[in-house]
Amino acid sequence: MSEGELDFDADELAMLRQLFKAEAQDALETVTTRVLAGGTAKPTPDALTEMMRVTHTLKGAAGTVGLNAMVDLSHRLESALAAIGREPSPWRPHTADLLVEVTDALRAYLEVAGEPGSETAVETIRDQIDQIVRPERRSQSLPPPFVEPPPETVLEPPSDAGPAPEPKAYLRVEPERIEDLMSSAGELLFDRTRIERRVQLLRTLARDLARTRQSLHDTLDAPAQLDRTSVAHAEGELASQAALLSQTTAALLDEIEALRRTIGELQKGLTRIRMESARNLFLHAARTLRALRRATGVHVELRTLGEDTEFDKAVAEQLVDPITQLLRNAVAHGVEPPEERAARGKPATATLTIRARQDGNLLVLEVSDDGRGIDTSALRDRLVATGRWSQTRAQLANDSEILDALLGTGVSSRGDADELAGRGIGIGLVRETVSKLGGEVKVSSVQGRGTTFSLRLPLSTALAQAMLFKVGGQVYAIPNVHVVDTITVEPAATVAQVRHEQVPVLRLENLLGSTTGLDRRPGVVVSFAGKSLVCSVDKLVGPREIIIKPLGPLLAPLQLYAGATISGSGKVQLILDPAQLVRRAYPDAPSEVMSAGDSAPVVLAGRALVVDDSRAIREAMTSMLGREGWIVDVAEDGARALQMTRQLRYDLVVTDLEMPELGGFDLIARLRKDERFASTPIVIITSRANPEHRRRARDLGVLALVAKPITRRKLLEALAAR
Amino acid sequence: MLRTVAELRNVIVFTIGGVRYALELRWVREVVSLGFVTGVPTAPAALSGVCNLHGTILPVLDVAALLGHPPGAGARQGDGALVLELEGTVCALRVDQIDHVASLVESAGAIVDARGRPLTLLDPAVLVRRATELITTAAAVSVAPAVPAS
Repeated sequence: MSEGELDFDADELAMLRQLFKAEAQDALETVTTRVLAGGTAKPTPDALTEMMRVTHTLKGAAGTVGLNAMVDLSHRLESALAAIGREPSPWRPHTADLLVEVTDALRAYLEVAGEPGSETAVETIRDQIDQIVRPERRSQSLPPPFVEPPPETVLEPPSDAGPAPEPKAYLRVEPERIEDLMSSAGELLFDRTRIERRVQLLRTLARDLARTRQSLHDTLDAPAQLDRTSVAHAEGELASQAALLSQTTAALLDEIEALRRTIGELQKGLTRIRMESARNLFLHAARTLRALRRATGVHVELRTLGEDTEFDKAVAEQLVDPITQLLRNAVAHGVEPPEERAARGKPATATLTIRARQDGNLLVLEVSDDGRGIDTSALRDRLVATGRWSQTRAQLANDSEILDALLGTGVSSRGDADELAGRGIGIGLVRETVSKLGGEVKVSSVQGRGTTFSLRLPLSTALAQAMLFKVGGQVYAIPNVHVVDTITVEPAATVAQVRHEQVPVLRLENLLGSTTGLDRRPGVVVSFAGKSLVCSVDKLVGPREIIIKPLGPLLAPLQLYAGATISGSGKVQLILDPAQLVRRAYPDAPSEVMSAGDSAPVVLAGRALVVDDSRAIREAMTSMLGREGWIVDVAEDGARALQMTRQLRYDLVVTDLEMPELGGFDLIARLRKDERFASTPIVIITSRANPEHRRRARDLGVLALVAKPITRRKLLEALAAR
Repeated sequence: MLRTVAELRNVIVFTIGGVRYALELRWVREVVSLGFVTGVPTAPAALSGVCNLHGTILPVLDVAALLGHPPGAGARQGDGALVLELEGTVCALRVDQIDHVASLVESAGAIVDARGRPLTLLDPAVLVRRATELITTAAAVSVAPAVPAS
């Protein structure tokens, strides 16, 4: 089979191959583990069966994704394993080593399989496998080149690379954290494919509905032809379309839910990559305090607690300034002069404590001093004296409200100006930074005993880069991934030139404000789903890191907004949805953002169940059947399939034969006993099509027995037999 | 719905635009003073804007507009508001003044305060439903092309 016969586009094939490779690595690992478990002894019959089963699955899946050399190699390995199981067995004490070498070589080959030049390895592996069955040739063999580990990443740049590049910041990440991410990313592609197929079906359905409506319209227009039969016919069509619509919508919702879960996993994985312990922050604090000690001569010690507490690196970076500010503040305002401390019976050296801990979903960082505490009555007087609070309000407020006021305004807790702590402005900045990160600051203080600032932050934050701009006096954001550029828009222009291309201008000052752009103004170039537009705005604010907050159910119908964010000063800023901006700039374009590769009409064929223990094959079949108009569900073995058929009817069942738990024939036999599945078309996909199998299939009323690897042509032939 | 039996209701009594309203306390999560109110273009007048409430986005509703009257003064920072929560929806009603909390008798849908003056009893479920309708309609209308067809 050549690649031309494969029925996947390049993206899809790459995706399936990636999946196959992961699966194959697992299968080969199973073989290695089984061999190693036996030491130099011949594996038990059970172990051999297991090894043959996974190798066999490998062969089928390799064919489906068009890796023919891999089909040949796994076939040879399977035969070799079968030979070991037979008597006289070619097993020798060093056969175990050979098998491990073969699986290692296969795993190395898998990494490059399908790429040009990878074929040279095939010959070597083939020889290696042959040696298992013909051990006497061992002595002639060359050392296999593939057992050597692949070269490590280059650690040092070549010395002749010209001027030394800027030192870069590197992230040290445990490999398994990356693995998790890769698998989630792969999952995402499948979620996308499934949803795209479903949307394609919905589009077909919309067309069908329009057709039915038209025929109904025509009937009503010509009263002479108005008869019960034609109306009843249209009604029947509508009913079945409505049923399909609700079925498809339900399935789509499930798939979107799956997508939501995958995105959640991905986000969690990314967050884990970005996690670091509080240690770095504490080191930084220690350095800051040493500098402060030198600058002020204040005797102060740092105590840190909870340095293993993990949090987002991005959050940690943002916390450096607030922590520095709080330390300065403590040294300047909190800690009393030595004589005052002595009078209170405190040790001459003051202690500052930074404590990190996790409290549920919150990360709590506390900065405490054992100083004089905050004099709330003095602060109260200052609030009144500076005109911020009325006399009445100040009298009614309790101590904690007074302390909160310290965070919100530029009021310093100490009467005189102090350059170190910037007269309380620094505290305002602390609150602002923390608020931007979605958290809050609390102060507690006991006069004469000390003050504690606690920063309470969400453990993980959905941080995103966005372009911020002003329209009609309010700040809005567009996610940066969709922002291409910023330009100047001419007055009253409806199109703008962006890199040799005319793109429409969407006047946000009209849409979001009430002014008309009669002047030159900045424009944000937005690109979404292959379409570009320029949004003219009042003023650019610039790129910022924002936290995306949902708008909630009440505002959900306002699709123009993708969410909101909260500014450092606590104002809500709306995030515009690029998809909606595109819709508004291209009012004539059909509302389908998804670009379907083929526009051939899809006829809704029904609901199919694909049962196979190889995920690559399941996905490949889903793709092929989806293209033929089938809504596809999948099961990884017969038992799961049986469970699914109890809940839903299927118009087609496609099943593998050899699967863990419940095999294909047992599944079919049980399905046939269920009257709902008594005559359902069933197709067997297998790489073991012997006469005995064909006879059993015929007895069970199986529609067709298709040999793996499955191609579109074979599948269509089998389905045509219905 | 008409009730023939008189029922005792725990309500909060408040004034908006000179009209006195009552609302059952069990729907009121908290009474707040609004933060900065961000306007939401393309939304109906019944949505005065959105506010930051403890880090979540709080829609602020205009009761007059919801009841089909001309919209009120609009919500500003520092205005009082009742935060309601029902069936997962959290929203705020801007109020001019909160009078008091009382147990009042509701009879046949009518409710009067301690001095016998009639109050308008608000049903939050109806308000939220109305708000959803108005927002959905406004959203559909706003999709009309903003670029002049050339």
